Amino acid sequence: MTLDDTRPAELLGPAPEPPPEEDLSPSEWVRIRLFATWYDTLFTLLFGAGFVWAARALIRYLISADFTILRVNLALLMVGRFPRDQLWRPAVALILTGLLLGLLAGAAIGSARDRAAEAGEEFSWDGWLAVVRRFWPILAFIVLTLSFTQTVSPWLVAAATLAAGAFGHWMGRTIPAGVRRYSWLIAIALLVAAFLVLITGGVGWEDWGGLQLNIFLTVAGIALAFPLGLLLALGRRSSLPALQGASVTYIEFIRGVPLITLLLLGAYALGFMLPDSLQPSRTTRILIAIALFEAAYIAEVVRGGFNAVPPGQVEASQALGMPPWKTTRLIVLPQALRATIPAMVGQFISLYKDTTLVIVVALLDILAAAQASTSQPDFLAQGLHRVTLPFVGLAFWVGSYTMSREARRLEKRLGVGER
Amino acid sequence: MTNTSVFSDATRVKGEPIIYLEGVDKYFGSFQALKDINMRVGHQEVVVVIGPSGSGKSTLIRCINRLEKHDRGVIRVGGVEISDDIRNIQEIRRETGMVFQQFNLFPHLTVLDNVTLAPREVRHMPRGEAEALAMQMLERVRIPEQARKYPGQLSGGQQQRVAIARALAMQPQVMLFDEPTSALDPEMIKEVLDAMVELAKSGMTMIVVTHEMGFARAVADRVVFMSDGQIVEVGTPEHFFTNPQEDRTKLFLSQIL
Repeated sequence: MTLDDTRPAELLGPAPEPPPEEDLSPSEWVRIRLFATWYDTLFTLLFGAGFVWAARALIRYLISADFTILRVNLALLMVGRFPRDQLWRPAVALILTGLLLGLLAGAAIGSARDRAAEAGEEFSWDGWLAVVRRFWPILAFIVLTLSFTQTVSPWLVAAATLAAGAFGHWMGRTIPAGVRRYSWLIAIALLVAAFLVLITGGVGWEDWGGLQLNIFLTVAGIALAFPLGLLLALGRRSSLPALQGASVTYIEFIRGVPLITLLLLGAYALGFMLPDSLQPSRTTRILIAIALFEAAYIAEVVRGGFNAVPPGQVEASQALGMPPWKTTRLIVLPQALRATIPAMVGQFISLYKDTTLVIVVALLDILAAAQASTSQPDFLAQGLHRVTLPFVGLAFWVGSYTMSREARRLEKRLGVGER
Repeated sequence: MTNTSVFSDATRVKGEPIIYLEGVDKYFGSFQALKDINMRVGHQEVVVVIGPSGSGKSTLIRCINRLEKHDRGVIRVGGVEISDDIRNIQEIRRETGMVFQQFNLFPHLTVLDNVTLAPREVRHMPRGEAEALAMQMLERVRIPEQARKYPGQLSGGQQQRVAIARALAMQPQVMLFDEPTSALDPEMIKEVLDAMVELAKSGMTMIVVTHEMGFARAVADRVVFMSDGQIVEVGTPEHFFTNPQEDRTKLFLSQIL
């Protein structure tokens, strides 16, 4: 029945009854939900006791812990041994990154608005509050980190980054569609610019460290491993036996070796295999090792996605006369990749956390920096791991949790499982 | 038309055969799915293929556009013989539209994109032209208002009509239907059959594998009965349904009518 249904009411029959509401008073709720049976009662008491104990421990920890070690070593944790007189470089890179992310997000909203207009639907942007709600773990972590600073400049950098993000967002929303189509080009240019700011002026990425290194290895690792993994997965499906054999061998070999072994190989053994004139920096070698390792796993994830595409899809495309590579690119890949989002993001999250393994090849990532700070004379043997390690853990948690939430959002938007 | 043989001269009345099969065998492993198939389909002819499941009907039409590779014999479509050459296969596929039992629409593309995809990517038609053509085809199957939706938002009958429009957008010379109504709920079968009847009346050459005897009676020029990978009997619908010659045909008809 629609609103403009003009039939008389008696012809429409009785209005459908709303589903019965569950209406429990607080005491009923407690009885039914918590103490319905003896084992419900047992679990309620056990978990209740555990919860109270954990809450007390957390409060006591927050009151008693001395965060001086984080205050003193904040720069070490964030950027490692990056030359302190060059810190404007990461700051500028951060602001450029903010601009770039804002631009992409704004452009996405602009195109969504245009698409809605074309389909004659209403469109309204959710606003900044929704952005805060979406990224609160990261924002909270930034505020926490800023609260440890002893100077005003990090606050200024954070404010400038936010402002750049907001400006980029506004730009992305308002530029005309013709220009917006090229916003990814602007984004890449900004990324390259940020990168150049970081590595020009004598600061190579071997000087990178702290959280900056973890994030760099994750982003660059994904950027390198994803296309390689895709090629490996395609190779594994190939009808050319040589290509297929090579792909399978590579994937199975790499998956049989622990990442830590590859990192050690990259750091210490690669040097002997290459001529002196071609000795990449240790960070480069580690990045290559990570990318080669991840590519094998990504290939397997993508293969799972390929298997999820019904054979009828390929047949339908073939029957239309589509050439094989267009069938793969336009029909199989989009559906396969869509089906792999959960597994793929799981892989990215584990990559992010695995970047802490670079500690074994003496790179100073955030975990190594935390370990180093607890061996400084001022902080030695005071059990300060209980201050530094939760902070490090938090840095990884906010990133992983956000990736996982964003993946769920993406899945929902693309309608995975709603065929 | 009263021809009872696929090789009757009557098929040439409407012109040269578009589809020509001679001595076609097909094996799946050691199982022989098609045995010595000989068949010609003339221009604008509608041939309905019926038979029990596993009789090779689907395999037969899937060999015509090379979704299955035949092991022996000759298949020619529009004068082009199917070989292992991929360009040759694609040339034939461009001229033969296919409609599947399970629709096989592309779920990640809108209805309009489903229909414009092949004209744009295979025929290199500009977007505007392809969309105008697609809308024309969607109107032909009476579903233009669904163009912006995704296949998952449509009913089975609507999806199958989109699939017909998608195949028609390549402007093929022949349409192959592989049990197009078998996966549909009963109330949706009619809308798809109506679209197919209109297509047949517009002069499209069609080979239809189906269990819809009403459709066969209404529009088929010839009915082909297959059993165990062989063509058992061929005839006009009238002849076929009222006066079948072979025992296997009689048995089959007694089971389904």
